[in-house]
Amino acid sequence: MQSWFIHVGEMFQRAFLKEDRWKLYLGGLGVTLKVAFFAAILGVILGTVAALMKLSVKKNGKPSVRSIIATIYIDIIRGTPSVVQLLIMWFIIMKNCRNGVLVAVLSFGINSGAYVAEIIRAGILAVDQGQTEAGRSLGLSQAQTMMYIVIPQAIKNVLPPIGNEFIVLLKETAIVGYVSLSDLTRVANQVSSRTYEAFMPLIGAAVIYFVIIKILSILLSKLERRLRKSDRR
Amino acid sequence: MIDVKNLHKTFEDNHVLRGVNYHVNPGEKIVVIGPSGSGKSTFLRCLNLLETPTSGEIYLEGELITGPNVNLNKVRQKMGMVFQHFNLFNNLTILDNITLAPTKLKLMTKDEAAQRAFSLLDRVGLRDKADAYPSSLSGGQKQRIAIVRALAMNPKVMLFDEPTSALDPEMVGEVLEVMKELAEAGMTMVVVTHEMGFAREVGTKVLFMDEGNIVEENTPDEFFGNPRSPRLQDFLSKVL
Repeated sequence: MQSWFIHVGEMFQRAFLKEDRWKLYLGGLGVTLKVAFFAAILGVILGTVAALMKLSVKKNGKPSVRSIIATIYIDIIRGTPSVVQLLIMWFIIMKNCRNGVLVAVLSFGINSGAYVAEIIRAGILAVDQGQTEAGRSLGLSQAQTMMYIVIPQAIKNVLPPIGNEFIVLLKETAIVGYVSLSDLTRVANQVSSRTYEAFMPLIGAAVIYFVIIKILSILLSKLERRLRKSDRR
Repeated sequence: MIDVKNLHKTFEDNHVLRGVNYHVNPGEKIVVIGPSGSGKSTFLRCLNLLETPTSGEIYLEGELITGPNVNLNKVRQKMGMVFQHFNLFNNLTILDNITLAPTKLKLMTKDEAAQRAFSLLDRVGLRDKADAYPSSLSGGQKQRIAIVRALAMNPKVMLFDEPTSALDPEMVGEVLEVMKELAEAGMTMVVVTHEMGFAREVGTKVLFMDEGNIVEENTPDEFFGNPRSPRLQDFLSKVL
């Protein structure tokens, strides 16, 4: 029993402490968070724009050019794997830019935007049509009605699925190793190939991902509860 | 004040309004009744262009509002609308519900709008609800607030689309009371309703709509006492 503890301790020492390897994990986590954070912001911006474009209709009820463009964007992004999108961005579209973080942020942001667009579109459609009619009947424009009445209510609707999307996005960044970025996953992999022990680095990476996402989901549910304040009786 | 000429509205294959003509004078209280599907709500919603008429013309104070290049938002500021399902803005407090449009449309400052809101809230006895959210109000209270919200824009006409149909019976009275006071104050009103008592008491004219047209129009006394068309006689015999 005692020797088992010593063995585990040695494995831990080799995976995290020797040659200050914990600093590698920390650096990797930094890359993961940086890419996920900026991609999430880009995704929300692109997603909101695409959702509003997709919802726009012509006066005769037919889909507008804007909505067709948004539909094509969403279709292409959802229809191709994100690894392929990342590689296309790295080797073809931005082959002259060797800033891996920038390429990853753009690629994941564009990817996430397509999913966010559908989430936001559903959230807007879930707001009762009567709210829009009431706004318009008071003389507010379509844009004012959207901004002050529909979107604030849609945000409440979309918060749970958007939170889910953020979590998926954070985990999806584990593929940035393909464009030679040293994120948490790649660092763990590198350490295990150095020490010839996969257990500690990979379990360690998994625990770190789990803790980060747990914190994120606690923050999201706090925000959700605050936004629900107007529903309370 | 409102002039409707040969108004048609078609939803896909459904011809809802079939050439409605009507004229509303300032200060009149027009009550529209009729069976469901007769087009009365669509007629009302065409007046402030929540529905776009398929053909025909509507004039508001002599201005053609169904033509091209009309500023719809400006037109709607002159017409208050009260809905069957209240449609209070769920994300805003009662005070913000009332002041949103006047302030965002830059018709009043925040203080002026709040002042106007409070004096209107006093009139309907709901001043203490100013900071509440709509979800904490009863149906009758919501509808009184919805009326106040429309009045805060100082409209020339008020349109009511079955304002009491979604209410519990004991709350109908309080809403009708507010509408009566409004009528006495001289507001021009067009009311779609099933409240025959209200039509009789408050209406200056009562219209009967059926199959997309105005079938009969008369003063309340004549309308209820001496209905001429067989369809209206049949309808009244069922609802009275």
